[in-house]
Amino acid sequence: MQPISSSNRTIPSGLMAGIAFGICLFLVFFFATSSWASTPSWQPSASERLVKLPSNYLKKAIDRDFAESDLASALTDVNSRVQLKGQTLGDLQAAIDKAEGDVKIELRHQFLAEKQEFIKLMGEQQDMRRKQVETKIKLYERLLAKLERRGAGMTPTKAKLLDNQKAARERFEGTASGVDMAIFGSAAVSESRYSREYAKNMTAIEALVAAIKEHPMTAEPEINGQPVSKQDYLRQLIAENQARVAIVEQEENILGYMAKIVALDAMALSEEVAAEDIEDSGVTGEDGEVSLSAAVDFFVP
Amino acid sequence: MTIHTKKLLAALAIAGVMATGAAQAGTLENLERERAIMLETLISPTMTPEERAAKVAVSKHRLVDLERMVLRDQSLVGKNRPVVRKAFENYDLTFLVHSAIEKDLVLLDHWLEQVGISTDSLMNARAGRR
Repeated sequence: MQPISSSNRTIPSGLMAGIAFGICLFLVFFFATSSWASTPSWQPSASERLVKLPSNYLKKAIDRDFAESDLASALTDVNSRVQLKGQTLGDLQAAIDKAEGDVKIELRHQFLAEKQEFIKLMGEQQDMRRKQVETKIKLYERLLAKLERRGAGMTPTKAKLLDNQKAARERFEGTASGVDMAIFGSAAVSESRYSREYAKNMTAIEALVAAIKEHPMTAEPEINGQPVSKQDYLRQLIAENQARVAIVEQEENILGYMAKIVALDAMALSEEVAAEDIEDSGVTGEDGEVSLSAAVDFFVP
Repeated sequence: MTIHTKKLLAALAIAGVMATGAAQAGTLENLERERAIMLETLISPTMTPEERAAKVAVSKHRLVDLERMVLRDQSLVGKNRPVVRKAFENYDLTFLVHSAIEKDLVLLDHWLEQVGISTDSLMNARAGRR
């Protein structure tokens, strides 16, 4: 390998290549993980249908909507590529252990390139996961806001009306049988058609209501075994997804450290190759100075 | 105005009348109508006691059903309209029959009590110019 001359000192081409490789690696990693990189989208809407869905079904419906999105298919694709890349890295690592000499250097170089690709893919995967989780949080927040706006429509007069209606129904339920006895108790007066039909239908309604209550689709969500309201359930989902964002951020740090190690490995490899080149040429001594005995050849014809 | 325009206007007018006629009164409106008839019967000076008793008995049965229909009507829950608010503000006056039986009072006595007319207040009353 020929040394490249500069004004002050001579830098081996291997070292230059290593530094360039490291810089490129960082740039590639930066662009891969930055938000500039375009990723497929998932744009769910907080529709009225979602607001009305039973709590347990809500999460499933959102997950299903995500599964049908471009982002989900891109995430699946990148996941499989990451898996394949992991296998390639494993194979290369095994091959490096067995190889020697130039082949080993070449395999180490290839291993670094594959690690770079792996980090790039992992960066893409993290971006997509972050996008998925952040979109979910936004959606849950919009649904929660919608639910809370519904409750906000309660004015003092409406609240009073509801209280009065509840009290009236309770009072009626308490006296209904007494009224029945007083009005329809005598043999001369038969029960009205409305009362008969109502009682008959009520039996059917009660059976249906019981079946609905038992239906798994209407089961109330639970947190630690305690049934919770839809608002509480949404808050729980938001908290869970925020935890996932925090994990993704931590994983991005891990990825950053991985990239740094790859860059350091690349520099170490280039230094190693450069050192071998210098040893082969025999021009410099151990302290890096040009030895006079080796330079004699330049002067003797 | 052309003949077509006239025909169109006539058709619209007929449709409007039919639509008005087809509009259904709610349970509360039906109860209010029946209650008004009942009160009119109770205080009517032109009826004999027998006539009144017979009419009240029929009206009472209808009122029981209508009161229950209102109390069970889910469409009225939280319906913040003046007529609904007023109806539920005073159970004793709106659900006359249920309330009277609950208090073990004759319908007329119960109503008079609710509107603030008692035997004492009547005995103390005197005719005069306002």
